[in-house]
Amino acid sequence: MERFDVVVIGAGPGGYPAAIRAAQLGASVAIVERDGFGGTCLNYGCIPTKSLIASAEAFARVGEAKSFGISVGGAGFDYAAMVGRKDGIVDQLQSGVKQLLTANGVKQFSGMASFKDRQTIAIDGVTTIGGKRIIIATGSTSATPGFLPVHERIVDSRAFLALNRLPASMIVLGGGFIGCEIAAMAAALGVKVTIVELLPDILTLLDADLRAEVRGHMEKKLAIRVLTGQSLVDIVADARSVSGQRGTERIEAELLLNAVGRRPVTDGLNLAAAGLATSASGFIETDDYCRTKVATIFAIGDVTGKTQLAHYATAQGIAAAENALGKIPRRHATLVPNVIFTMPEVATVGVSEAEAATQGRAVRTGRFRIAALGKGLAAGETAGFVKWIAEADSERLIGAAAVGPHATELIATATLAIRAEFTAHEFGDCIHAHPTFSEAWMEAAHALRGESIHVPPRQRPALKLATQ
Amino acid sequence: MVTPITMPKFGQMTEESAIVEWLKKEGDTVAKGDVLFLVETDKSVMEVESFEEGTLLKIAVGVGTSVPVQSVVAYLGKPSEAIPVSSAQIPPAPMVASTGKTVKTSRTGVAQGAVVTAPEAATAPPQFASVASPSASGRSRFRISPRAAALARRSVIDPRAIAGSGPEGRIVEKDVTAFLAAKGYGGLRISPAAKTLAAKEGLDLIALNADNAGRRIEIADIERAVAEKPRPLSKMRQVIAQRLTQSVVTAPHFYVTVEVDMGNVLAARSESNAAGARLTVTDFIAKAVTLALKEFPVVNSATDGKTVRRRSRIHLGIAVTLDEGLVVPVIRDADDLTLFELSDRARALIEKARSGALTPDEMSGSTFSISNMGMLDVENFTAIINPGEAAILAVSSTIRKPVVRGEAIVVRPMMKLTLSSDHRLIDGAVAARFANSIRTKLEDEAIWSVLTS
Repeated sequence: MERFDVVVIGAGPGGYPAAIRAAQLGASVAIVERDGFGGTCLNYGCIPTKSLIASAEAFARVGEAKSFGISVGGAGFDYAAMVGRKDGIVDQLQSGVKQLLTANGVKQFSGMASFKDRQTIAIDGVTTIGGKRIIIATGSTSATPGFLPVHERIVDSRAFLALNRLPASMIVLGGGFIGCEIAAMAAALGVKVTIVELLPDILTLLDADLRAEVRGHMEKKLAIRVLTGQSLVDIVADARSVSGQRGTERIEAELLLNAVGRRPVTDGLNLAAAGLATSASGFIETDDYCRTKVATIFAIGDVTGKTQLAHYATAQGIAAAENALGKIPRRHATLVPNVIFTMPEVATVGVSEAEAATQGRAVRTGRFRIAALGKGLAAGETAGFVKWIAEADSERLIGAAAVGPHATELIATATLAIRAEFTAHEFGDCIHAHPTFSEAWMEAAHALRGESIHVPPRQRPALKLATQ
Repeated sequence: MVTPITMPKFGQMTEESAIVEWLKKEGDTVAKGDVLFLVETDKSVMEVESFEEGTLLKIAVGVGTSVPVQSVVAYLGKPSEAIPVSSAQIPPAPMVASTGKTVKTSRTGVAQGAVVTAPEAATAPPQFASVASPSASGRSRFRISPRAAALARRSVIDPRAIAGSGPEGRIVEKDVTAFLAAKGYGGLRISPAAKTLAAKEGLDLIALNADNAGRRIEIADIERAVAEKPRPLSKMRQVIAQRLTQSVVTAPHFYVTVEVDMGNVLAARSESNAAGARLTVTDFIAKAVTLALKEFPVVNSATDGKTVRRRSRIHLGIAVTLDEGLVVPVIRDADDLTLFELSDRARALIEKARSGALTPDEMSGSTFSISNMGMLDVENFTAIINPGEAAILAVSSTIRKPVVRGEAIVVRPMMKLTLSSDHRLIDGAVAARFANSIRTKLEDEAIWSVLTS
């Protein structure tokens, strides 16, 4: 039996960085993957959706050509070619991951990993390898509620991304970020989309002002029908269409996208053999050091049931590798930017206004609309705003949100400022280049202190300067 | 007319008290009988009512500052009236408050007496935690130029650690600059929000930097430093600290432990309680102790090392744990009470203790004390003698365990009693006999069948 210092189960955005970090620290490392290297993120999530969204956005941009003084005649698109482009990108990145692992001397196994004991893993029941430390990074998959019939017209996000043609109409079940991203992309390519969400609003993790901005655009600009506060029942699919009952209305479409949520993947792992069990909701519980209840076994990413984002899994993976091999344990970072590639994009980091209210923290906010930026007008992208949330007395920045063009890029500045414990004053003093979208942060920091240059004041103070 | 409100005197022994909460704020209208503030005394928290009506013009003593009794703590008057400057007065005869829970504030004349000390501390800016507060005389000698003070403030450091090069040791700007350079202030890394918070909390960044081993100082470090800042103990804890230290330092303690078979007591208790009584194990122990004290009067006495004071009456102190400390309510003339009367008195006092309603008189004058940790699941412990007494009994949990009876091992409910005695007064043999006297009484079926019938 081949023995390794570290065995990583799952080669997603948590697992493969963990393996590489362990290898960098001098360990002998093996990684086991039963599906595509790169995980859901690379194969069925972040990357493929962003590829298709980029195509959809480019098409939408062509539609606006006239306003830029460009004549384009007979613009159209070939969805199969868009999917082909996406597949090319996925292939390229996937081989990149494998090359990186190989270059770091990480031995790769394809197959289903299963614990035989705390330090032994069977792969497809054939090969057996040993690991002094084991990092579980098996991720998550789409949750399929029991009331959904099994039918080719009912797909999850992974199956949707594999389609070579778009339906004419589509019901998106679930108004979370996965549902909203695909809904926006499809709508931009002309699909008649209806989102049905059981909760009172879509994207409920966001503050109300952000939700209103995104929902307004999705309804008005993309003509997406957004139905909230009531579930879709009695879902039936046949050769002609798929339909469901919502109140008195029967909603019918060519396709139904199931985007109700995700569930952890632990099937086949045989955790019991390692002395581990999952929580009631199926997750592997860990502490802030990525440790499970078994001293030599760590877990990271979606399977741990914390924030389910690729970049969070990566941060955990690196910390887990260091903790598995190092002497001084360190906590993984917990300030996680949250990015949603809807149209317009939304991104948040840190504490939201709603969370601050729940925690009873007194906060002040500063907002600045993109439409007031020279760059926004010049680029023809004027939707949305950025927002700072700061502690009321110290003006310490504790949260930020951006909705609008490049929001998912803009959030990086805010993340850094919050991580570095900036105050609104300090941030406002930092010069931002003009004309850029990033200026919005500086303006919002000024606004938080009531010192906005580009927003008319409510009241003008009087100052008497002594004559010299 | 502006009326000063003074800190009442709550008992013969009270020298100073601290306000724990103001129920009125400056500008509030006050009616006669309104509760103005709460005061923490040596023994408990008291409400202080207003004797006058008017508007609360100024609060001179904030929460947490201990001031001598009769100090002016606030001024009452009409909204437009000016507060007399340096007119805080002490009346000629201090008013002694009743032992009731609520105390009326006394009214003092403006023209009388001396100046009150210390209230300015209540509104003073935060002190540097890393440096002990300087004495009044030390503070008066501290000299610093405005520019130097401003630089120290901007740098969020404690200027009192700096040696001044100016006349009479006055600190000038270049002293601060040199000090910062010597302490490696240039290499100090701190997040902007952490610096703001440190300044607000009056922390010293040089001390923080040393603690942090040169790591960048972040909010979490400041929050930790704030949480670890020394704070005054509550008045109650200060009293506990002072009294217990005095006892341990002056009275040479020694300990005798006996183990009691509680079978008969528990049986008598169940029987009585089944018939409607509400007896506790403590009640039985208190009764047994009173009976034993009558046989050993030396245990019911006290010494200062030179004289011995015998007490003919038995006042039993029962230690009661509270959230913020402990109090010892006193059952007076315990030897005159039947088991049931003793039980009723103990219950009433313990309830008052838990609700903070004990009067000073109900907390003083004990001649012997009992500390019961039986409900806390302990095998054995020792207690510290209350000053003014010769011994204390520590009662531990009753635990079912194997014991030898005759030639057989049987399971019995056993409880350990540990007597702490002042060796200046009580010798080992006396302590042993006294402890065994309690044990014998607790194990004597006949006593309890008589006392509970």
